[in-house]
Amino acid sequence: MATKARTPKAAAMAPRTIGRSLLLTLPIAFWSLLMFANPQRHSNRAPQIASLITAVFMIVLFFMMMRTGNTYRWRRWFFVALGILFPVGFIHTVMVMRGTMGLPIEEMIAGRTPFCYLPIPLLILPAAFTKSLVFPGSILPSGGMSGAGMAGMAGLWLAVTLVLGKGWCSYACFFGGIEEGMASVPPRAKLRKIDPRWRYGPWAVLLAMVLLSLALFEPAYCMWLCPFKAVSEYVAARNTVGMVQNGIFVVLFAGLVIALPLLTKKRTQCAFFCPFGAFQSIFNKTSVFDVKIDRTRCSPCLLCKTACPTMSLTDESIVRGETLMSCMKCGACVDACPKQAVVWHIKGTEVAGKPERARLLFLYAAWAMAVMFGGSIIAEGLATILHVFV
Amino acid sequence: MTTPFILGEALTLGLASGPACMASCGPVLVPSLLAERAGLRRNAGFLSAFLAARFLGYLLFAAVAWGLGVLVSLPPAPRLLLFGVVHVLLAGALLWYAYSATHACAQSCAGSELVSISVTKKRGVPGAAVLGFLTGVSLCPPFVAAGVRAAGLGSVAAALLFFALFFVGTTVWFVPFVGMGCVARNEAVTTVARMAMVLIAIYYAYLGLAMLMGRRVYGY
Repeated sequence: MATKARTPKAAAMAPRTIGRSLLLTLPIAFWSLLMFANPQRHSNRAPQIASLITAVFMIVLFFMMMRTGNTYRWRRWFFVALGILFPVGFIHTVMVMRGTMGLPIEEMIAGRTPFCYLPIPLLILPAAFTKSLVFPGSILPSGGMSGAGMAGMAGLWLAVTLVLGKGWCSYACFFGGIEEGMASVPPRAKLRKIDPRWRYGPWAVLLAMVLLSLALFEPAYCMWLCPFKAVSEYVAARNTVGMVQNGIFVVLFAGLVIALPLLTKKRTQCAFFCPFGAFQSIFNKTSVFDVKIDRTRCSPCLLCKTACPTMSLTDESIVRGETLMSCMKCGACVDACPKQAVVWHIKGTEVAGKPERARLLFLYAAWAMAVMFGGSIIAEGLATILHVFV
Repeated sequence: MTTPFILGEALTLGLASGPACMASCGPVLVPSLLAERAGLRRNAGFLSAFLAARFLGYLLFAAVAWGLGVLVSLPPAPRLLLFGVVHVLLAGALLWYAYSATHACAQSCAGSELVSISVTKKRGVPGAAVLGFLTGVSLCPPFVAAGVRAAGLGSVAAALLFFALFFVGTTVWFVPFVGMGCVARNEAVTTVARMAMVLIAIYYAYLGLAMLMGRRVYGY
């Protein structure tokens, strides 16, 4: 993954000294070691080695963010690793627990379907009307097949979301990394003209899925449209309906997560389809962190607009000095700006105030969560692979 | 004999079933309301046309079914065929609606003339009525509940009256939809509504085709 050549231009900020960068990395280093210290002795050393590698990986990436002043470039390594290793660990778990990647109806009836955060917006209306959850999983924090019950996942999501807003989609989502990796492969986009109205796609999918979930009393997105079923658990196809569902999953995954990111260099599933992303955009209003454009420095060269993987910058928004509410706070636009006009910002403060302080505060929150949540998923995936060799 | 007690039961049944009716009609009603122009009066007009046509669909279905003596015991094969056709028509109406809105948008300004197929528009194509009628005859669960009860009444007139009061009860739950007229309309809202209509239409088309091929889906 050659990242250097693909970022339009590195940020002009002078690198920090190694000593100062190390000092700034210390809190994350302590946190990482705390998260991945495993005092228990197992006969198999794979989990310990995986934890150690993950801790070092997360610490080094944060150090490089501090040292170079770049965010997107280093975050992407973490995010792609998360996207690739999540299916590895998850598939291993379902194979051990269930013996197949297929999710049979018996498992659903028993309430053992693993819960991810994507159906959260689909559960709200049915719960409000009927006081019941339209998901065949367990609500207990330790429930469900993989030990990730609805209460635990929803609690984690809410806590993180209130702080980071849609930053969840760049630092926690274990699906987005695959397409971000795909988008980073080609040196330049082959498909450059994208109708900006496709940006409304996630909202349309959200509206349709919320309404259908209420009407059908099932998480309609999980049943019919989730592209990531193709790399996690598919419907145990015992009839034509199951075949149709799996066909849709595979086609959407191949199109939105593989082919279109390769052609456009954008996170097309996130930008044009994901209903959870649209829902998450609302929480950019509650987050204290955002990305602003200092109009006194902006040329405008539009490099930020080109770099944005979700088309969250338009000519009009740049004139207004802000991103659209779909901004995932990945940092691509900040890194791309040659004049440091695109800056991290804390609401209520001056745009041209202390952007690096805003960046640090944001990154401490985001990376602490990335270490805890994404890091544990990376470690599990790594352990699964290492288990073969160690 | 129809007693006030029975009529009160119809109203109560309608009130109790309202959320289920709302959930059943939501995928059709909400996007089409959002694709309409903003304003409480305009949305109220659209909703009235939708509900009136839905009521007509209810009564027509009840009367025909009563006349044929098959209100609650329609054999599976013709039932699948009937509801398959209804769902395909519903999908077609939604797609047509979404396309029509796009067409209107392309031919006029971005704001005021976005949609031109509601009953109040100059094209005069009763979009709301078509959608309302098709949802009225698509046999949602509350409709079945009312049908079972109405089948036990002595005459077709009593059954229709029962359905009418049942409808009044459910309609109370639809009143808040008028509030969607307060949602500001811009290109984003109408585009989202049209895209959602297409997605929902695809789902209904799938349901319809599956039923036409003789497959039982979701209780039909």
